[in-house]
Amino acid sequence: MADAMTEDALREEVRAWLAANWQGLPKPQPGAGGAGWTVSPEQKAWLAKVVEARWAAPRWPEAWFGRGLPDAQARIIEREFAAVGAPGSGQDRTNLWANTLLAGGTEGLKQKLIGPLLRQEVAMCLLYSEPGAGSDLAGIRTKAEKAGDHYVVQGSKVWTSGAATADYGMLIARTDWDASKHAGISFFFLPMKQPGVEVRPLRQITDESHFNEVFITDAIVPEENLLKGLGEGWGVLQTALAYERSVMGEGARGPRSGVAESKTEEPMIALAREAGRLGDPLLRQDLAQVIAYRRLNALNTARAKADLAQGTSSPVMSLGKLAMSRILHEEARVRTAILGAGSLLEGPDHPRAEDANFLTLNAYFTSIGGGTDQIQRNIIGERVLGLPKEPEVDRDIPFREVKSGR
Amino acid sequence: MATLLAEERTALQDAVIRLLADRSAEADVRRTMETLEGYDPALWAQLADMGVTGLLVEEAFGGAGAGPLELEAVMEAAGAALLCSPLLASGVLAVLLLQGLDDAEARGRLLPGIAAGTTLATVALTGDSGTWTEDGVAVTASSDNLSGIASYVLHAQNAHVLLVLARDGDGMAVFEVDPNAAGVAISALPTFDHTLRMGRIVFDGAPGRRLAGAAWPAARAAIDLALVGLAGEQAGGSRRVLDFTIDYAKSRFQFGRAIGSFQAIKHMAADLLLETESAISAARNAAARLAEGAPDADAAVSLAAFACADAFVKTTADAVQMHGGIAFTWTHPAHLYLRRARADAQLFGSPAVHRERYLKALGA
Repeated sequence: MADAMTEDALREEVRAWLAANWQGLPKPQPGAGGAGWTVSPEQKAWLAKVVEARWAAPRWPEAWFGRGLPDAQARIIEREFAAVGAPGSGQDRTNLWANTLLAGGTEGLKQKLIGPLLRQEVAMCLLYSEPGAGSDLAGIRTKAEKAGDHYVVQGSKVWTSGAATADYGMLIARTDWDASKHAGISFFFLPMKQPGVEVRPLRQITDESHFNEVFITDAIVPEENLLKGLGEGWGVLQTALAYERSVMGEGARGPRSGVAESKTEEPMIALAREAGRLGDPLLRQDLAQVIAYRRLNALNTARAKADLAQGTSSPVMSLGKLAMSRILHEEARVRTAILGAGSLLEGPDHPRAEDANFLTLNAYFTSIGGGTDQIQRNIIGERVLGLPKEPEVDRDIPFREVKSGR
Repeated sequence: MATLLAEERTALQDAVIRLLADRSAEADVRRTMETLEGYDPALWAQLADMGVTGLLVEEAFGGAGAGPLELEAVMEAAGAALLCSPLLASGVLAVLLLQGLDDAEARGRLLPGIAAGTTLATVALTGDSGTWTEDGVAVTASSDNLSGIASYVLHAQNAHVLLVLARDGDGMAVFEVDPNAAGVAISALPTFDHTLRMGRIVFDGAPGRRLAGAAWPAARAAIDLALVGLAGEQAGGSRRVLDFTIDYAKSRFQFGRAIGSFQAIKHMAADLLLETESAISAARNAAARLAEGAPDADAAVSLAAFACADAFVKTTADAVQMHGGIAFTWTHPAHLYLRRARADAQLFGSPAVHRERYLKALGA
């Protein structure tokens, strides 16, 4: 009863505060050249208010802008914010950067950055993958060497979005070449705006540039920016990846031609109708199958959520990414089949071909990015089905003895 | 349609799982599939005591008054255990047909025996074309005497009562026929799935008792519920096959390591998990939509029909491959499931037919 009173009182407090302060925000605009979403001055001002009122991270302790609330009460706050469409709450669950820093950062770095991160006053990027370390992320060869009160970093990173505008990058680098692969890695907040950091956009197979390569030459990172201890970076990374996965949406984009698709019926059916191909019995089989793939994935997700709500974990959650890869590749294949020779073309005069061809290529964003389908199958096989891991020949030897190809 | 409370449903499913673990183990299935009747009357009586034979029968006639959700739950257990039984013929098709027609006298006379498991009924729905469609009916009525052919009739050779779809002038009617009547010749069909019993029936002026009510709509509703039951069986069977295949991959060693550690096997297993979980989702969704009488029930049923059929065939086929030589032997159970999967994928229409129906249900 006392708890119920507290929760009611909390709900009233949030509502009253939102009623007094929330006036909406202008629509966010994508940045130029794939720089990600820019944060408008209005949005920054709003976030500053939310942080000051201690709504941004209510689960956190009072020392760090929080209220020390249990999850159930924090959810009440999030629900009230969501009800009026106001952003900024629940960052103790969703703010990858602030959570990672709070869990592993030095006192000095936390004092310096936690507030700005919650207020989105500093921009961040991820410096994980390397040209030579993709699926095998622990095989990184970017190195950080101690020199007085700082580290000097040398190497290159890839698949970094937002690198050009970032103030800091969350960096994994090798600090011990005699330790085994996972044990020699450390985790840093690398200041991006310095001469030793060069950002080059990557031109993707879709002819877009959403990612960068980052070349790091004698870049400086203060000792204070090391998270946890030396050689403890792999553990920090796992925490960071868990936050990232927990907030990652589908990520996959739809058609890009800008020419509208049907909203009143299944888009794939509408496309076949428009192309005069809906009577083709072979195509109809394909259409039914790809529509079914998407529908089955939605049913799986709904079932997983219901299981989670009842407190039982579901193997279905981990299947979503693998399922989405197949959906995207198969939909693109059927879009191409609908068009036939029309798919030879591209450009603004041929929007359906533009979409089919773009989606064919962009499907790899999902089947490679964030862990390839093959890595995903390993994870499902090992963590869900309990199958044994492959023997790893490089796991327990000093990293300097590990073979590297490309 | 009717539904029990969720707790009652879970309790029923648990009871069926326990009974089948005890009485429909692999040895039981192998023994039963070699018998003439192809089901175990003692086990059937136990299922009757549990309320399974009368699951869908209205309570007024001695049944449990349950619906699609309960049927689906029971069939998941049945599929996992490869249960040999006339449940789809008698407990689903015949019951739904009788309850969908408008013949109170026939319901009152037949349903109590069917619910109790003492009367085995089956429905003759299709001819040699095996399409399970209205135009596939190849029996014709003339002054309530039937002539023509019905085929792929589940448990025809075991049935005490035949319910026969027949062309009747410009329309269609259901006739109740005594399998021992003059002009009825039933021959057992040799089935690739040895756990399945089917017959072909030649009618030659056989006397029938005309049942009142719209024949094909009732038959269609019965087939839809049978498809949901079948989807449950396929999902449950797929899950069981995946489980024992994973166990094998963990315990079979080659090249000094469990074969499940090889990505060649592991990746097949991950794909099968996706197929199996999708089949479970599709089967349960179809049951739920049908139970609610939702406007998209037609799409949900046809989606489950092909998704579960394809999943069960793929899981069983890949399971044989993943086991290797041991599963090429008669004594290994994998082929029993593969045979069942291939049979289930053709009953009441092929996956291709259901894909076409799904697309039509979506407005295409």
